[in-house]
Amino acid sequence: MRVYLIALLAFAGLAVAPFGIGGYETNVLMMVLFFVILAVGLDLVTGYCGQFSFATGAFYGIGAYTAAIMTRDFNTTIWVHLPAGAIVAGLFGLLLGIPALRLKGHFLAIVTIAFQTIVYLVISQWTSFTGGQVGLPMPNAGPVTVFGVTLFEFGSLRSYYWLTLAMTALTLLISWRLVNSRLGREWVAIRDDETLASAVGLDTTRGKLTAFVAYAALAGVAGVLTAHSLRGVTPDDYTIWISATVVAMMVVGGRGTFIGPILGAVFLAILPELLGKFAEYKMLIYGVLLVLVVTLMPEGVVGRLRARAAR
Amino acid sequence: MTAPILEARGITKRFGGVVAVNDASLTVGKGQIVGLIGPNGSGKSTMVNLVSGELMPNEGTFLFNGTDITSLPSHRRARLGMARSFQLLRLFHSLSVEDNLLLANHMRMKASIAASIFGRSSAREEEQRARARARELLAWFDLQDFADRPVSALSIGQQRMVEIARGMMSEPSLFVLDEPAAGLSPPNVDKLIQLVRRLRDEFGVSILLVEHVMRVVRDLCDHVVVLDSGVKIAEGAPDAVVKDPVVIEAYIGTGWKRRAQG
Amino acid sequence: MDLFLQYMANGVVIGSTYVLVAVGLTLIFGILGVVNFAHGEFYMIGGYAGIVAITVLKLPVLPAIAFVLLVAAVVGIAAEAILHKPMKNHDATSSIISSFGLAVALQNAALVVMGPQPQRLNLDVSKIPVLSSLPTDFGPVFLPQQRLLIPIATVLLIAILYVVLRYTWTGRGLRAMAQHATVARLCGVRVERVAIVTFITGAALAGTAGMLMSSVFFVYPIVGNMIALKAFTVVILGGMGNVAGAAVAGLLLGITESLTSAYISNAMRDVVGFVFVILVLLFRPQGLFGKAVERS
Ligand SMILES: Nc1ncnc2c1ncn2[C@@H]1O[C@H](COP(=O)(O)OP(=O)(O)OP(=O)(O)O)[C@@H](O)[C@H]1O
Ligand SMILES: [Mg+2]
Repeated sequence: MRVYLIALLAFAGLAVAPFGIGGYETNVLMMVLFFVILAVGLDLVTGYCGQFSFATGAFYGIGAYTAAIMTRDFNTTIWVHLPAGAIVAGLFGLLLGIPALRLKGHFLAIVTIAFQTIVYLVISQWTSFTGGQVGLPMPNAGPVTVFGVTLFEFGSLRSYYWLTLAMTALTLLISWRLVNSRLGREWVAIRDDETLASAVGLDTTRGKLTAFVAYAALAGVAGVLTAHSLRGVTPDDYTIWISATVVAMMVVGGRGTFIGPILGAVFLAILPELLGKFAEYKMLIYGVLLVLVVTLMPEGVVGRLRARAAR
Repeated sequence: MTAPILEARGITKRFGGVVAVNDASLTVGKGQIVGLIGPNGSGKSTMVNLVSGELMPNEGTFLFNGTDITSLPSHRRARLGMARSFQLLRLFHSLSVEDNLLLANHMRMKASIAASIFGRSSAREEEQRARARARELLAWFDLQDFADRPVSALSIGQQRMVEIARGMMSEPSLFVLDEPAAGLSPPNVDKLIQLVRRLRDEFGVSILLVEHVMRVVRDLCDHVVVLDSGVKIAEGAPDAVVKDPVVIEAYIGTGWKRRAQG
Repeated sequence: MDLFLQYMANGVVIGSTYVLVAVGLTLIFGILGVVNFAHGEFYMIGGYAGIVAITVLKLPVLPAIAFVLLVAAVVGIAAEAILHKPMKNHDATSSIISSFGLAVALQNAALVVMGPQPQRLNLDVSKIPVLSSLPTDFGPVFLPQQRLLIPIATVLLIAILYVVLRYTWTGRGLRAMAQHATVARLCGVRVERVAIVTFITGAALAGTAGMLMSSVFFVYPIVGNMIALKAFTVVILGGMGNVAGAAVAGLLLGITESLTSAYISNAMRDVVGFVFVILVLLFRPQGLFGKAVERS
């Protein structure tokens, strides 16, 4: 219960934030939220279930392109895109989960990199479908209508921020319920010892596939939100560097903890803003940080603090 | 003999050129404790892995309660009522003792995964019951004080007990134990012997017991099967098997005498 | 038919680079058990080092090669110190993450130092003694000297590597480590030195490949991404840790890609290898040439 209370307070604070800050800062906050969704999603499959993925950028992109292509071809709105993006990305997650049934560790990591690269090649080269290097434009998120009555428009930055915040809250709630459910415990069991997991009767196939699907679907949702917020998609927003960034967020915060990747995402997403003119070095910093953290503190900041507290 | 719970018929397992198990057959009757012994590298653990479904045999069939389970993966066999322990202890090391037990009960839970995710009362109550049962079992193994501790905080002997408690948590009808006495001190071996006997007598579990410590085998087993280089070379009552010249021959140079007296 | 031979030749040239990069990668894995996701960056650094040596420092060819090798050695030593030495007590995922982090860091360091624009080495072959006298026409096949140099260098380097592995003390140490690290250590193999030598060898092979290719293809900060993936493809097809397998698979991949882009579509060229590798991993994880092993 205390967890829910703290979370509620945090979200209440974030909800009133746009009244105190400017448009630029609101955009930054929104981007932080996208990364929070991505990092928590990756943590489900990697931190909890122990299956490596460097393909976060790909699922993020699949969600974004689903929104952009549906807008172009069917003129649909974000209310359709959110579930559609989650489903399409989730299906691709299922597809990537299949190799994970047979492959472990570095083999799986290589396959996910290959998958990330293939997705990038497709969205950047299949010009007739995806717009190629130029990408696709999108109008803004459009009106919210109930039975034909327009309630309000997501044209304004603030209302779109609130939508993003609400979706973040929803995805975090789902993730929290997942990791604290029977399924979440099975994920941890698979991470700890897969042979033992099946020896005690757990269906490891189901465990791994659900983790991959949940991860991919969350990234897909983040992709839909991002596409609408940027008013379009370009392939270079969904590269392996996005995957690297999200891995760094998860690792720095603490793999396999719930709060760690959230803090990691907040910290690393805001960091470039604090760096001023050194912001162009952010990927360099992320890379170095990854090496340092994983070498000196592989359990991440939150993991280390927990271990301290337990002693 | 009672009706068989497990029958292994003509099992062969090859690893490349090595034939780890060679046309071996064995039967465990309901309520029996059957010993599986043999020198180092004779294929006992391989046989255990074949029984539990972690490995698939090249030839032969397994029957469990009369049904063919040869092609079932290990989690399906576990669901049919098969539990096992590992020669090299295996536990979910990042979880608490209680959660380790709870996981072995997941497959018996009736509420759907969705109910568990949404925190429905049916799932919550079921989990509470399972936790209560885990505590009961832990008390039975004298481990109740450790329920919330991470398994890594326990001694090797205690971890072995957690492994057995975990097996019991899955409500098995057959329990396959791979060298449960390995690494235990002599007093703990005595405790183990009593414990295994109680598992059979109080819970009615049939047991397939791989063991090097002959004292355990002689005290517990109704029937013993001897493997050597993957081949079954003898079987029968423990006392008779131990005196069988073929068996002694197989063990010569591998410390048989020392073990036989241990 | 004539064009077919030309495509084959182009495939062999590209394939030779894959071999050079992949052999180092497979050595590092086979001997040290490290999966080096930063291996493509060794190639990238080799390419830039070559460009700097020849166009900025204006070195003649041989000293330029020496310069590239020197840079590669430094990179190899540094990589060992980052990816191998401190990771001994870490789980496998940590070493995957750290080499991935190193790759990202090196790419972005290159971006800062060399800029994003692709660069190419303008090598004036007519001024290089032996090279300028090599033929360029082989029946229907035309190969300019810059390209011809690549398979020649590959054969030479692999031959040297083979001799070193086979007949020198260091080579025996390396092979002993690949067989069984603990036993090798007990037999007096100096593991630290072996590790450093292995990384230097890997970096030197990939760096040489990068330098040679920089006179044919562009070098840019993330060029290593694709090369590393190709090299992984080759290593997996050849069987992890199998040097001869990597050599065969590298040539095969180069030729397959060249033929795919010629007869099917250029866009499919890069996808082909990855699809293939995913299939191989699923159905023959031991590689095309490896033997099946079950682990208990
Ligand atoms: N996964 C494997 N791959 C190759 N060979 C194996 C594998 N597992 C076991 N073996 C071989 O099979 C034979 C039997 O091994 P197993 O572990 O079953 O013996 P064991 O009777 O349990 O021995 P111990 O008393 O030492 O536990 C040995 O020669 C062993 O080397
Ligand atoms: Mg054994």
